[in-house]
Amino acid sequence: MSQDTIARLKKINWFADLPENVLVALAGKVIVRNLDEDEILFNKGDVGDSLFVILEGRVKVVTNDEDGNEIALNKVSAGEIIGEMSLLDHRPRSAGIVVLERASMLELKREDFMEILIGHPDLTLAIIRNLTSRLRQNTTYIEQITDMSRRVALGDYSVITESRIRQTQIEKGSEQDKVNQLMVEFVAMVRGIREREADLRNQVQKLTLQIDAGRRKRDFDEIAGTEFYADLKKRAQELRTQRKDKG
Amino acid sequence: MGQIVSIHSFRGGTGKSNVTANLAAQVALADKRVGIVDTDIQSPGIHALFGLDENNMGNTLNDFLHDKCTIREVAFPVGDNADHHLQLAGKPLWLFPASIRGREISKILREGFDVNLLNTGLQTLMSEFELDYLFIDTHPGLNEETLLSIAISDLLIVILRPDQQDFQGTAVTVDIARSLDVPNLQLIVNKAIPNHDIDDLRRQIEEAYNAPLTGILPLNFELADNGSRNLFALNNPGHEWSQELYKVTEAILSVA
Repeated sequence: MSQDTIARLKKINWFADLPENVLVALAGKVIVRNLDEDEILFNKGDVGDSLFVILEGRVKVVTNDEDGNEIALNKVSAGEIIGEMSLLDHRPRSAGIVVLERASMLELKREDFMEILIGHPDLTLAIIRNLTSRLRQNTTYIEQITDMSRRVALGDYSVITESRIRQTQIEKGSEQDKVNQLMVEFVAMVRGIREREADLRNQVQKLTLQIDAGRRKRDFDEIAGTEFYADLKKRAQELRTQRKDKG
Repeated sequence: MGQIVSIHSFRGGTGKSNVTANLAAQVALADKRVGIVDTDIQSPGIHALFGLDENNMGNTLNDFLHDKCTIREVAFPVGDNADHHLQLAGKPLWLFPASIRGREISKILREGFDVNLLNTGLQTLMSEFELDYLFIDTHPGLNEETLLSIAISDLLIVILRPDQQDFQGTAVTVDIARSLDVPNLQLIVNKAIPNHDIDDLRRQIEEAYNAPLTGILPLNFELADNGSRNLFALNNPGHEWSQELYKVTEAILSVA
C-alpha cells in the first residue's frame, strides 16, 4: 500500500472527504490494472462486480446499435470512476468500456468494497451523502427543465438568455456534467425552434397597406389650397401642350 | 417629341437619386438623348454617381437660377466623362447638377428662386439638347419646385419603400399628380424586403393607387456599400436589383 495510491484516491470525488484510515483500507484492497489501446475492460451486459478508478489515459463508454456497430457514448479521463453503479445495484454492465489511450487504473472488487463498507460507517455515510447530493441536484434540474418546457410551450423563449449553465467545479463525464449537457442541448433546441419559427413567419410576411383617408385629404387640401397651386394647375396643361407643339 | 420624367418620393432615403441615375443611364444606352436635372437643390446628390465632386463641378443649376449663366452652360456631358462607366462613353447623356456648396444652398433656401425661371430652363434644355427624355430628380416632399416638376411631367415615377409612412405619403403625391393631370403615373418599390409576399404587395399597391408598379427593387446591401460612387446596374447587370431596374426602364421607354 503506497502513499501514492492514497494521494490518488483523495483526488477522486467519491473518496475525497474520507478519513485517512478508510483511505488506507481502500488502498490496501485496490489492484492496479494497465491496459493497452483498444483493449476491452468489460462489455455491455457483463456481470459487474468491480469499480475502476482511472489514473492515467482515457477510455470510451460504448454500446452497440441494432446492427452491432459500436456507438461511443462518452469519453472518460483520469480522475474519474467507472462501473460504480453495477457495484451497488448488482445489475449487469449498462455499457462497455474500451481503452482509447493506454490506461492505468485501480480496480476495487465488490467483496472488498463491501468489507470496507461494513467496517467503516464513514465510507457508507460518504457514499450516501454523495448519492443524495446527486439526487437533489438532479431533482433541481428536472424542476428547472419542467418549468422551462412549460414556458417554451407557451411561446416564451426567454430561457435562452436566462438559463445559466453552472460551469464551475464540474468534472467532465460526471453526473452534473451530463445534466449540464442536457441544459445546453435544451437551450439549443429552444433556439432552433425560435429560429425556425422566425423563418416561417418571414416566409409568409405580408404587409398590409393602410392609408388614412382623412389625413390624405387634409394633406392634399393643404397643398392644393395655395395660390401657387391654383396657378400651376391652370398652367400645367398649357405648359405640356406648348412643348408638344414645339416638338 | 421629348418626355419629361419626374422621379419623386414623399420622404427622403428611398434611393431616389440612385434609381434616377441608373434609369437615365439605361435609357441613354437605348440610344435615347437623355438629360438629368437635379432639382433637389436643398440636398443634391446625383452628381456623385457620375463622378462629379466639389473640385470638378462647373456651372450649376443654382448659377442658372441666379442668372449667372445659361442653362446650356450648366450641362455636364456624361458621355465625354465616362471613365468610370465606359458603356456610357459617347452617349448623348447630360447632367445638370445643383450646387453642393453650402453657401449657395443656403442662399437659395434663404432667397428662394423664380419657379418660372426653372420652368423656362427645363423647357429650353429639352429643345436645345433635343432630348428624348429629361429626368428630374426632385426634392422629397411637395415644395414649389417639386410641384412644378410634377405639373410639367409627361410621366411621374413615385418611388416608395414598403412601409406605412411611404404608403401614406405616396397617396398624397398620387392625388396631386392626378389633380395636375399628369398623363402617366408609375410606381417603383425600392428597398423591398426579400421575405415579403411580393405578389401580394404588388396587388395592394396597384389597387390602392390605381397605377402600374413597374419594378420592385430589393433591399441591396451591395448598392449601399457602393456608397453612391457609381452606377450599380452598369457594373452589376446580372444582379436582381438591376434586373428589376431594367423592367422600369422598359416601362419608361414604352411612354413615348
